[in-house]
Amino acid sequence: MSSPQIELRGVEVHFPGGVQALRGVDLSVQRGEFVAIVGLSGAGKSTLLRTVNRLVEPTAGSVWFEGEDLTAAPPARLLEVRAQIGMIFQTFNLVKRSSVLRNVLAGRVGRLSTWRALLGWFPRRDLEIVHGALLKLDIQDKAFVRADVLSGGQQQRVGIARALAQEPKVILADEPVASLDPPTSHVVMRDLRRINQEGITVLINLHFIDLAREYAHRVVGLRDGQVVYDGPAGEVDDATFEQIYGRALKSDDFRGLDAEG
Amino acid sequence: MAGLVEPGRWKLWAGVGLFAVVFIWSARGVEASLFRFIEGLPLLARIVVLMLVPDWSWAGRSLLGMVVSVQVALLGTTIGMLLAFPLAFLASRNISPHAASSYLNKQVLNLIRTFPEIILAVFFVAAYGPGALAGMMAIGLHSTGSLGKLYAEVVETIDPGPLEALRAAGANRAKVFWYAVMPQVLPEFLALSLYRFEINARAATVLGLVGAGGIGTIMVQALQFRRWEIVGMALMVIIVVVTLIDTASSALRRRLV
Ligand SMILES: Nc1ncnc2c1ncn2[C@@H]1O[C@H](COP(=O)(O)OP(=O)(O)O)[C@@H](O)[C@H]1O
Ligand SMILES: [Mg+2]
Repeated sequence: MSSPQIELRGVEVHFPGGVQALRGVDLSVQRGEFVAIVGLSGAGKSTLLRTVNRLVEPTAGSVWFEGEDLTAAPPARLLEVRAQIGMIFQTFNLVKRSSVLRNVLAGRVGRLSTWRALLGWFPRRDLEIVHGALLKLDIQDKAFVRADVLSGGQQQRVGIARALAQEPKVILADEPVASLDPPTSHVVMRDLRRINQEGITVLINLHFIDLAREYAHRVVGLRDGQVVYDGPAGEVDDATFEQIYGRALKSDDFRGLDAEG
Repeated sequence: MAGLVEPGRWKLWAGVGLFAVVFIWSARGVEASLFRFIEGLPLLARIVVLMLVPDWSWAGRSLLGMVVSVQVALLGTTIGMLLAFPLAFLASRNISPHAASSYLNKQVLNLIRTFPEIILAVFFVAAYGPGALAGMMAIGLHSTGSLGKLYAEVVETIDPGPLEALRAAGANRAKVFWYAVMPQVLPEFLALSLYRFEINARAATVLGLVGAGGIGTIMVQALQFRRWEIVGMALMVIIVVVTLIDTASSALRRRLV
């Protein structure tokens, strides 16, 4: 087996105040995988995702990216690595009153020198990349529209375009469809599948088990900050989810059918 | 039955009684009496009548004085904006580099705001001599305090989501500030500053009364010689210009937010 692209070794996270969100998580992800992390609310999914780019610092253990110990990386190097990892969010995290274009351009500033970033002096290539990202998500006609006038699904696509503008090797997605309706959820999941097929690793937190089964290659089950399941998505059945969740399944564990088939 | 009386009713009556006592005490303090009020009415009416027939030969000078007052307000507001900007971030709980910095800068802003412009103007006139410069400094300092507090409140209510997104994309502190914080706060800052400018335009007209330049200088001289027709002229210019500024400024503010 080739060396993993992302590797967590014995990662623990204690938050100030006494909550232990992760208890010794080991996880390795190969290049090009589509991994769904599932678990109840509070299981530690968001925390796990944020240790990968060190938005949350592990209190013990180490995080590796492409053979490099990120937990030991100096601040400037950490920023370089973050620039290679796109992230999308449940609440989109756009600057609401800025245009779609400005929001997507923000995906390029990580690689830009500080003074050029402050002057807003983006190289021509950056603008081409941003244009390409807008085209890929079919929001090019919205470039000059304020982000907050768009629908939830469109805002999430702006979020994905911003991540793509980074030309990332990995995309981390923290419950990207939790605030969308079922048909829109499938649109966004298909966007992510397409991006994954172009070679970008996708690590996604989901609490809808049908979405995890349909779109992911692999399912990682998290409970109380521990990995309690790790296997191919094709082998996961309802019993596995009941074991991960520690309770019987309910209707809102499912996102529902894809209206477009 | 005693149970029918609302409990705590006595508190209401005690409150009313206390207010009455304080009211009478204050009235004695200002030597207010209905008799004195009625006694002064005819003179008041005469003054109003005199002012209603303004001396138009003073229109030009009044307008020039008002221009200076508006300049004082404009420069004072700008100084306030520039000083309030860094102070607001240092005073905000979420962006401030340290909790102690937030506390300290909040106290500084509070302290500045306790001095009314007119008191500050008295100090600056004493130090720098009479004139518009002292007025500008008084308004600048007071605006620093009031804008700083309002700016800090804006900073404390920004959405942290975009900041996290920028950090995740590899942005350093300066880039996060420029791409996630500034676009959220800038329109609000400008709207608050315009509103402050409206207030300052009024304040600047009064500052002349203590020698801090502008149209107030004309008024204080006219008052000394009981030239009510000149006072009337100056007041008319103030009312027209202040109304124009308010209208323009609130139209601008509506477009910002
Ligand atoms: N910044 C934080 N400070 C303190 N506790 C936190 C923080 N973030 C998350 N937690 C706690 O850590 C646990 C895991 O949270 P999270 O990773 O958000 O779970 P999930 O995303 O699976 O819902 C929860 O108990 C949560 O309350
Ligand atoms: Mg979460």
